[in-house]
Amino acid sequence: MDRPPPRLPVFLNLAAIRFPIGAIASIAHRVAGVLLFIALPIVALLLDASLRSEAGFAAVRDLLSSPFRVVTAALLSWALVHHVLAGVRHLLMDVGVGSELARARTSARLVLVAAPALALLLLVWGLT
Amino acid sequence: MKLSIYRYDPETGDPPRMQAYDVQPEAGDKKLLDLLMRLRVQDDSLSFRRSCREGVCGSDAMNINGRNGLACLTALDGLKEPIVLRPLPGFPVIRDLIVDMTQFFAHYHSIQPWLINDQPLPERERLQSPTERERLDGLYECILCACCSAFCPSYWWNPDKFIGPSGLLQAYRFIADSRDTATAERLDFLDDVYRLYRCRTIMNCTEVCPKGLSPSHAIERIRLALLRRSS
Repeated sequence: MDRPPPRLPVFLNLAAIRFPIGAIASIAHRVAGVLLFIALPIVALLLDASLRSEAGFAAVRDLLSSPFRVVTAALLSWALVHHVLAGVRHLLMDVGVGSELARARTSARLVLVAAPALALLLLVWGLT
Repeated sequence: MKLSIYRYDPETGDPPRMQAYDVQPEAGDKKLLDLLMRLRVQDDSLSFRRSCREGVCGSDAMNINGRNGLACLTALDGLKEPIVLRPLPGFPVIRDLIVDMTQFFAHYHSIQPWLINDQPLPERERLQSPTERERLDGLYECILCACCSAFCPSYWWNPDKFIGPSGLLQAYRFIADSRDTATAERLDFLDDVYRLYRCRTIMNCTEVCPKGLSPSHAIERIRLALLRRSS
């Protein structure tokens, strides 16, 4: 009878891998997507509560004036902007626009820089 | 030069560890493989694959300072020290830098990497126009070193179902061949959420290909061929 094959180790320590810029844009796209996915029902519930009654509106307003508001809003603004930009980048690349390596690197860099910058603008505009 | 190399010995069963080495390159040592060969004189238990030592056989693929590449094509000049060498990521390690490529080659076989032509054999060879021949450029040069597939996050998570960049580039090599008559069957086989569509256009494959090929471009062409066929 054959011996069962030994369990071989696999090297897959992501911290030891030097990721190209495209991979960083891609994983950030995923993270942003997960954040938006988690945030959407919460935001919808908050909106629902704020529209239900005056007391509900006041409760939501109080909740949103906590110090965590800025951090959460910043994170979600970044997630939204990054997800949209990276998503459009992928759509264009799917039809062959900018899918050549040098261009893909440039567009990945652009998305990674533009997302926090636009998120900041969105935040400033939203909080003032 | 200082190196840090992944060591695993299946006979002891000990977990893998990193071992530090210091080896002096001699005159004429230009590539990482030269240094590894010198290192083997110091420590003959160190295992890695190599054959042609000039980027044709594709056996000395490994993770060099966090990026996949061929030791024989990686210049010693400009390598950050210690040079950290690990086996190809995501592949089962047989010993030290030697990985099990069974699954990788199973995917390669699955795409039927040979010319299929059901027409009667011509008296002489099947001719191609220069333009038809040019379509194979950037495809036929693949040496199956697995640098690309072992750097592809989609392949890491689904090595059993996703064909991977190397296999897909090879698949497109036959789809693009004017002499092949099985294009429809080849596309049918690839039209699958896992086999083809696990690709997320991260382009890690194109980033690390030591032959300068673009598997992501080949995958894009396959997707467009499928789209054109369905519309």
